[in-house]
Amino acid sequence: MNMKTAILITMTLCCSQFLLAQNDFKKGLNEARASYASNKLDDSRFAMQQMLYELDMITGKEVLKLLPQKMLDGSIVAKADNVSGASGFVGVIIHREWGKDGSPDKNISMDIISNSPLIASLNALLSLPFIGNTGDNKVVRIAGYKALVSKIDAGGTTNYDLQLPLNSSLITLKAPGLSQDQVIKLANTLPVPEIAKMLQ
Amino acid sequence: MRHFKSLLFLACCIPFYSAQAQLMKKLKEKANAAAERVMDKKIDEKAAEVTGVSNSGGGSNSSSSTSVGGRNKAGNKGGAGLVSTPPDVKENLTNAEAAFSGAKYSEARYAVQQAMLGVELQIGQNILKSLPQAIGELQYNVAADQVTSTGWGWAGLTIYREYEKGDKQLRFSVANNAVWMQAINLYFNNGGYAQSTGGKQNWKQTKIKGLRAVIEYSEGSGYKLSAPLGQTSLLIYEGVNFANEQDFMKAAEQINVDNIKKQLGEN
Repeated sequence: MNMKTAILITMTLCCSQFLLAQNDFKKGLNEARASYASNKLDDSRFAMQQMLYELDMITGKEVLKLLPQKMLDGSIVAKADNVSGASGFVGVIIHREWGKDGSPDKNISMDIISNSPLIASLNALLSLPFIGNTGDNKVVRIAGYKALVSKIDAGGTTNYDLQLPLNSSLITLKAPGLSQDQVIKLANTLPVPEIAKMLQ
Repeated sequence: MRHFKSLLFLACCIPFYSAQAQLMKKLKEKANAAAERVMDKKIDEKAAEVTGVSNSGGGSNSSSSTSVGGRNKAGNKGGAGLVSTPPDVKENLTNAEAAFSGAKYSEARYAVQQAMLGVELQIGQNILKSLPQAIGELQYNVAADQVTSTGWGWAGLTIYREYEKGDKQLRFSVANNAVWMQAINLYFNNGGYAQSTGGKQNWKQTKIKGLRAVIEYSEGSGYKLSAPLGQTSLLIYEGVNFANEQDFMKAAEQINVDNIKKQLGEN
């Protein structure tokens, strides 16, 4: 199977999933309307919850489309693409990796948690410069947004993770083996304003 | 030499006297400020007696204007306040459909959340309507009725009603559709509350209208009964100044749980 065929299959799968999600949204909408009209309020509410779930999934897949095709030399690991979770609690998690298939520990990876109540604590950390800019942490700006670069010691090697909060969402970029400056440079290639617009 | 010593003594004393004078001045200012505060408080108390409007802030602000940092801020003398209208469910569903068709997913999400908020507030109001107007001698407090919803998320839907007569009070609240509720129901249903027989028993397992529940007693806050309902709801009854457990349970039994269950879609 050549590269072209693989891309075609991936695109077909994405499109069919997208269409299915769209159908689910419309099905939920019809159910919500019908239940509400017949005064079955709880059924209507349940249908709306399903609609929210579908919207979260569609938004997640749209965000994946915005991300770059390559990071340094690594291409997208299509198998690792994932959108999961539930908004309102832990949040919807959008995951992507760049690098080689089967080596997630070495790949550059990005996780976006949207609609999560856990993000508030990180926002507080960023707003206090004395805490943010201490020791292993550094506050930087990526596309005009404040972000925190943290030093992580992982089994004798030092890695740097970058976390960028956007209202109730959080972008985390991990790039094993790269220096602090390289991670910041890499983060600057991300379409942060577009992602923010999609998740707002 | 003697002149020199005198001059030196004077030079040493001048700062001391100067410091003492400053201290005296400060003390005088503090005393004046304290006296002014006492006077203002007395005037406020007298004014409150005459007008019936209290100024409990303790400061010297008048009811019509305040002076902050030399600027006068006009005080609000009244207004119609906010119009509390629940979101229109049908309109928001139409908005969601339009936004979704235009691939504006963030807007579609907001509209669905608003529609859900509208439905939840209606569910809450329906439950409040189904509750009794009075429980024994206790009458319900119309002003205390409350339905709160965040649409969908951590907090969910809460419904609150109060019954009272004098200092005797029964507070009833329903929490529904909150994410944390699933965890608490799991806890209750799996005997998370251990029961002991030794010492003074301040809580125990019981039943209310066939539902498993936990009843607690505290000298400060009275009786509290918590009963999980279905998968994502919790009923909380709080009784203040009830004579005994039987008296409190008799009052709690007056609430029609089956109807609440039906409204919330719980099994």
